[in-house]
Amino acid sequence: MYRIRFHGRGGQGMKTASRILGTAFFGSGFEVQDAPLYGAERRGAPIFAYVRAARRPIHERGVIDRPDLVVVADDTLVPIPTAGVMAGLGERSVLLVATGEEPAVWRDRLQLQGPILTLPIAAEERAELRFVGASCAAAAARLIGVISWADLERATQQELAPLGETVVVENLRRGRAAWDAFAPHEGLVVEGAEAASQVDERPDWIELPFEAARISAPDIHVAATSTEVRTGLWRTIRPVIDYDRCHRCTWVCSTLCPDSAIAVDTEGAPRIDLDHCKGCMICVAVCPTHAIETIPEGEAKHAESEEARP
Amino acid sequence: MSESHYRHMKDLPSTHLLGAGTAMCAGCGGLQAVHEVYDVLGEKTVFVNAAGCMTLLSVYPFTPFRGSWLYTSMASAPAGAQGVRDALDLLVAKGRLPANDDLQVVVLTGDGAAYGMGLSSTSGAIDRGLDFIYLCYDNEGYANTGQQSSPATPHAAHTATDSGVLGHPGFKKDLFGIWVANRPAYAATVIGTEPLDLARKIERAKDMRGPRLILALAPCPSGWGFDPGEMAEIGRLAVRSGVWPLKEYDDGRVVHTEIRRPRVPVEEYLVRQERFRHLFEPERNDAELSAIQARIDAYWECVD
Ligand SMILES: Cc1ncc(C[n+]2csc(CCOP(=O)(O)OP(=O)(O)O)c2C)c(N)n1
Ligand code: SF4
Ligand code: SF4
Ligand code: SF4
Ligand SMILES: [Mg+2]
Repeated sequence: MYRIRFHGRGGQGMKTASRILGTAFFGSGFEVQDAPLYGAERRGAPIFAYVRAARRPIHERGVIDRPDLVVVADDTLVPIPTAGVMAGLGERSVLLVATGEEPAVWRDRLQLQGPILTLPIAAEERAELRFVGASCAAAAARLIGVISWADLERATQQELAPLGETVVVENLRRGRAAWDAFAPHEGLVVEGAEAASQVDERPDWIELPFEAARISAPDIHVAATSTEVRTGLWRTIRPVIDYDRCHRCTWVCSTLCPDSAIAVDTEGAPRIDLDHCKGCMICVAVCPTHAIETIPEGEAKHAESEEARP
Repeated sequence: MSESHYRHMKDLPSTHLLGAGTAMCAGCGGLQAVHEVYDVLGEKTVFVNAAGCMTLLSVYPFTPFRGSWLYTSMASAPAGAQGVRDALDLLVAKGRLPANDDLQVVVLTGDGAAYGMGLSSTSGAIDRGLDFIYLCYDNEGYANTGQQSSPATPHAAHTATDSGVLGHPGFKKDLFGIWVANRPAYAATVIGTEPLDLARKIERAKDMRGPRLILALAPCPSGWGFDPGEMAEIGRLAVRSGVWPLKEYDDGRVVHTEIRRPRVPVEEYLVRQERFRHLFEPERNDAELSAIQARIDAYWECVD
């Protein structure tokens, strides 16, 4: 059975990628499961989708915990523990990262046992990654090596048809490029063994005694605990205020930021709360003096770590 | 009418009550409206939330609110509000809650609930004169479950359930009109991208008693198909094109709080959203575009 997990951010098309791959597998005669993980999170938040494909009926259920292939559409997710990108990667698991960096950098950084490949993403595409879904699906199909281009093409058309002809054409073009680029690695992904119940480790159960409703009912005694959730991790682009150009009209940016992520300091200047700013860029669009710049999050992080160096 | 606190943009609240870190999408128009409303209502507010996107605001143990929040089924938020209101009244009557610690009861609901299955319980609550604010963030579809059509979906919009070339065959229901027909204490339409107009209306509603509607158009990047950063522009175009009239009902009269002349052609609003792209590509659908424009013009002719 093949087990493939796609990681990305809500809105980057990983759900679509898994659908394309699932449909292509199905068109090639496989039994298929394909499901996105629905959580409370939304566009910009880390999400994943997964595909199981086998020649026989699939009895395994739930999230894939031992993947044969993991595809990551957004390399900023790799260091985020809650995104779970690295979960269950074994000796033979292949990791494919869409990134602007070289494979060697990733091998050095992650020190995995299995192979690491990269899908090159140009810097100017980083922020949006609009078409990365079809490229990821095509690269995955080629790495698996049991799906023909014709089946993949048909699946891409079928899944993207509602988005209109232009989108289909552009995705096919990019998908084909990825398909061709990964020809040297055709068949690198090896089918994993059927899971047997004996393989599963017994969970470490914790006994929870039954409590009266007064104790067991959800009750929060502090205001606005949501600030413990770092939605700043969703951001792929960062708003940066140029205080020389800022006119201190905070009623504009601070009011219109949907996420209460722009505070006003005692001097009347706006302060962006980077722990929570989701990078929607509404403040950039509404600022009358164009005082807010947009920079890719990766670049900003890099600059920060450079600065932190002694 | 007393003078408003909010005379200029400058007067808008500069500290925000709604906590950051919620699960709403980047660029959510609904969240923008909710945070602006909360800033004016203040901490002494209890929210009764019908199932929809906003029920993901509070996921135990995380909440952006500074007080209590109750999650109800889609159709029954006004019934939940009745229970909360009654409990508060009893506590105050028995002296267990000082009168000045009484809370404002606010239903927070999506359009799917408000325009559809929640209408019956809403109607009952208005008939009983329930003292509550009914805040509907209208993203014109069942957004939480993938933007299926709702009775608030505009004509011709593409949704998950109306994905054919013609889009949604129905017409957006007039919820404001339905409320006005019920003679509530107050009713207003607002949008987060016009925060001054919004703040003035919430300020007025806050000091009234009885059933009060706040109907907020909520541009939704995920459901409508646009980049999150364009949300403010789309909201402004909704007002400037006349698609979303800003108005209020008070003392038996409907008054428009913003009358734009000239109005921006509605096309400029539509063309920025994926859900209307089929009206422009692969061929322009002139007939549909003029019909949409004509309906807007007809509305404003009765106002002008
Ligand atoms: C009776 C009932 N039917 C269906 C659902 C599933 N459901 C949860 S949220 C939702 C969409 C609600 O749409 P709306 O009220 O417009 O809120 P939005 O999701 O757009 O915020 C649906 C259908 C439900 N919770 N209850
Ligand atoms: S809107 Fe722009 S100029 Fe005004 S306070 Fe915000 S950053 Fe400064
Ligand atoms: S990009 Fe600007 S408007 Fe958007 S969440 Fe961040 S600070 Fe707020
Ligand atoms: S789907 Fe729309 S309404 Fe729901 S959280 Fe996302 S942007 Fe907001
Ligand atoms: Mg809705």
